[in-house]
Amino acid sequence: MSLFGASIRRKEDPRLLRGDGRYLSDIKRHGMVHAVFVRSPHAHALIRGIDSSAATADPRVVCVFTANDLPAGLPPLPCIDAEETTKPFNQPILAADKVRFVGEPVALLVVEGDRYIAEDIAALVDVDYEPLPAVATAEAAMAPDAPLVHFESNVVDVLEYSLGDAPAALAAAPHTLSERFVTQRYAGTPLETRGVIVEWDEARRGLTMWSSTQVPHSLKATLVGYLGLPENSVRVIAPDVGGAFGVKLQPYPEEIVLGLAAAQVGRPIKWVEDRYEHFLASTHGREQYHDVEVGYDDDGRILAIHDHAVTNTGAYLQRLTLVEPFIGVSMLSGPYNIEHQQLVSTVVMTNTTPLNPFRGVGHVQAAFTMERIVDLVAAAVGVDPGEVRRRNMFSADVFPLHRGIGNVLAGDIIYDSGDYQECLSRALAAAEWDDFRREQESARADGRHLGIGIGFFVEETGLGPYESGRVRVEPSGQVIVFTGACSSGQGHDTVLAQITADELGVDFDDVVVVHGDTDLVASGVGTYASRSAPIGGTAVRNAAGSIKEQAIRIAAEMLEASPQDLELVDGEVRVKGSPASSVSLAQVAGRVAPGQPLPEGVDNYTLDATDIYHPPTNTFSYGCHIATVEVDVDTGVVTLLRHVVVNDSGALINPLLVDGQVQGGVALGIGGALLEEIAYGEDGQPLNANFMDYLVPAIGNMPEMMVEHMIVPTPLNADGMKGAGEGGAVGAPAAIANAVADALLSLGAKITETPLGPETVYRALQDAS
Amino acid sequence: MSEHAVTININGVERTDSVPARLTLADFLRERLDLTATHLACEHGVCGVCTVLVDGETARACLLLTVQADGSEVTTLEGLTEGDELGPIEQAFWAKHGMQCGFCTPGFVLTIAEMLDDNPNPTREEIVEGLGGNLCRCTGYVKIIEAVEEAVSLRGGGA
Repeated sequence: MSLFGASIRRKEDPRLLRGDGRYLSDIKRHGMVHAVFVRSPHAHALIRGIDSSAATADPRVVCVFTANDLPAGLPPLPCIDAEETTKPFNQPILAADKVRFVGEPVALLVVEGDRYIAEDIAALVDVDYEPLPAVATAEAAMAPDAPLVHFESNVVDVLEYSLGDAPAALAAAPHTLSERFVTQRYAGTPLETRGVIVEWDEARRGLTMWSSTQVPHSLKATLVGYLGLPENSVRVIAPDVGGAFGVKLQPYPEEIVLGLAAAQVGRPIKWVEDRYEHFLASTHGREQYHDVEVGYDDDGRILAIHDHAVTNTGAYLQRLTLVEPFIGVSMLSGPYNIEHQQLVSTVVMTNTTPLNPFRGVGHVQAAFTMERIVDLVAAAVGVDPGEVRRRNMFSADVFPLHRGIGNVLAGDIIYDSGDYQECLSRALAAAEWDDFRREQESARADGRHLGIGIGFFVEETGLGPYESGRVRVEPSGQVIVFTGACSSGQGHDTVLAQITADELGVDFDDVVVVHGDTDLVASGVGTYASRSAPIGGTAVRNAAGSIKEQAIRIAAEMLEASPQDLELVDGEVRVKGSPASSVSLAQVAGRVAPGQPLPEGVDNYTLDATDIYHPPTNTFSYGCHIATVEVDVDTGVVTLLRHVVVNDSGALINPLLVDGQVQGGVALGIGGALLEEIAYGEDGQPLNANFMDYLVPAIGNMPEMMVEHMIVPTPLNADGMKGAGEGGAVGAPAAIANAVADALLSLGAKITETPLGPETVYRALQDAS
Repeated sequence: MSEHAVTININGVERTDSVPARLTLADFLRERLDLTATHLACEHGVCGVCTVLVDGETARACLLLTVQADGSEVTTLEGLTEGDELGPIEQAFWAKHGMQCGFCTPGFVLTIAEMLDDNPNPTREEIVEGLGGNLCRCTGYVKIIEAVEEAVSLRGGGA
């Protein structure tokens, strides 16, 4: 049986299930001291001075670090997707003279003892703040007299894309409609918060940092830059990571400060974020509204679209903050062929926690906006929503499709493969659309409001620039795979072993996967943007392929045969047509183990191969979600009934795990659709920075779920993989919002924002009546 | 901070220590005893990640002070496993892919252990009811429900 495509149990699980996981906070180092960060309680304030004398008087204090203790001229955190026009509003490593959001780090305190003592003493650090007027929403920040978060203007950038002539096409369109669609601020909130341990080794003048991160290699490169150390003096280890979802995809100021403090302290330092800090200081996502005008004809064909999106990106540009505004507009039209598009995306700073991508970045807002529009058009022309989609969708013969709309980081948008019409048809069938319509009708006769809604999306996945894969065969027959991808629960150990075992024909149990350690994995990028299977997996496939070639070359001497007469089957190199004449891969590895002359024509000892895979361009996964709901019109409560997903993420390494990715993504999307919102007061004070008030979906919120896979392999990599980590989160809010709108269609309620909590739905009903 | 002597039977082993009044049971387990399978995620009793059994009943180890557990029997995930042999609930999580990052899993396993001791053959509604206090951010819960049903059958329950 081929291991590629097999739903097998994970390698990771027995260890975790025995309680032998090693997450960041589980690690202890000899002589370890504990850190806390003193953070701004103000959304916007000048720092007049910092008096830490009461704290440093305590003998348990090892050090206090403020901006003054950092090396002079330390650059702020980089934003790598800035354009030439982007204003450089980047976050300083520690706030020096001004704080710009609640939670911004102002000082590091390191104490002997434990976290309890560290927090006691941190309360003694006296920061003299002079509060300034703050601004918390994008609209308020764009007002003429708004407080300025940085200088001159709160607008950091205005991005524009266009296709055809939207103003003329809108003017000429038989019908137009305009609406504002609002997606709220929410966040990945992994159950494990961030955390860091640093340890300085004076003997080797080197630093080891354990961090709960998705990107150990990026973090290492950042530390090398900030610390001015050579590469071999910095080692970053990502231990077991308890969920990440994008929240852990950039180097953070805490990591830099701790890296800088390590040598001075000379002892291991541990910092673990608590949940309150996590809500304040780990990046948020989404907050974006779209003002849209569409032109359409009597058949519901969308002829032109004008969209002005505005994103509240918080107080600073983080590493990839601009992805949210870029993708929010450039992926707006998703599967639909809209000839004329004018897309404007305004990036606005406020005194709130910075935005950075998380699961479904930009695509969530794009899909929610576009799919609501399509339903409004469908209702306006009196055509079934499925049929209107069919009339607007690209057909299956257009690929590869150059969209003609730019997109930073990924270059041009070129849809690689797919069949959107088929995906839609399968989803409509799986959701039993027509049967539900009958059920809906009879429920209405009983005074109940059921609804059904479609959320179709196309999603940029498999982002470059590259990933590393290295495969090494030991003389024992053990196969070790090294990957620059870094798991936070996805199951890399399992799926990369499946690819390797598949390529080499070895036993799955003989393959081990190593990741998350920059000393063990020389080069890498990390895990985000649904890239580890298509990019990381392809690198591993290629490296294993080179092993295969090398093994055949080496075995040629051992079997006294010509390489073209040999094949690798079931972990053995054998003579084609004469399988009794064979050597095992372990014997081949033994033949090139050091300490003996190499076979003729073989240059290298050890059976070892590395591939750095650069994808030619992105892949584009897509899917169709169909949600059914019941809305209680007296209370505004939405109950989810059923959620159907037909998803095409290309070839599947392990369908069981991909199901898990989609289901988990849907749960996150349900949170965004109905429950989750990071709320701020007008003064920039966070209002719900805890799991009691910020609601993530619990088991009782989940509908019956059905996930089907459609496989249209991408031509961009050998296995045809497109990436499956995020789509679940993208399609769900659009489908659920459309279902709620459908349930309330006859009552005239306008559904234009998420989350659709009881109050929002109730208000929409009141406004309609 | 005043210190208090405590004696707690943890996973079948009697432990005696002197602890500050404010030390939570979770930190006692993790920091003093290196029993790190009990994880912390919200630290105020909402998410269920730190769930342990105290005298056979689920408790939030982040809300319970160590001194409150004095004289009790505490079971953590480590206590469910003998050697490398996984118990039926853990086997079911493995078989059904009931976990991704694994951070919430110990709390789920202990909650399910209590649930199935009380009710060896729960309905789907009872499973959902019983797990209402445990958050998972990765799985969407679908496969956790399947894992409970699998555990029921591995334990010889079910019809």
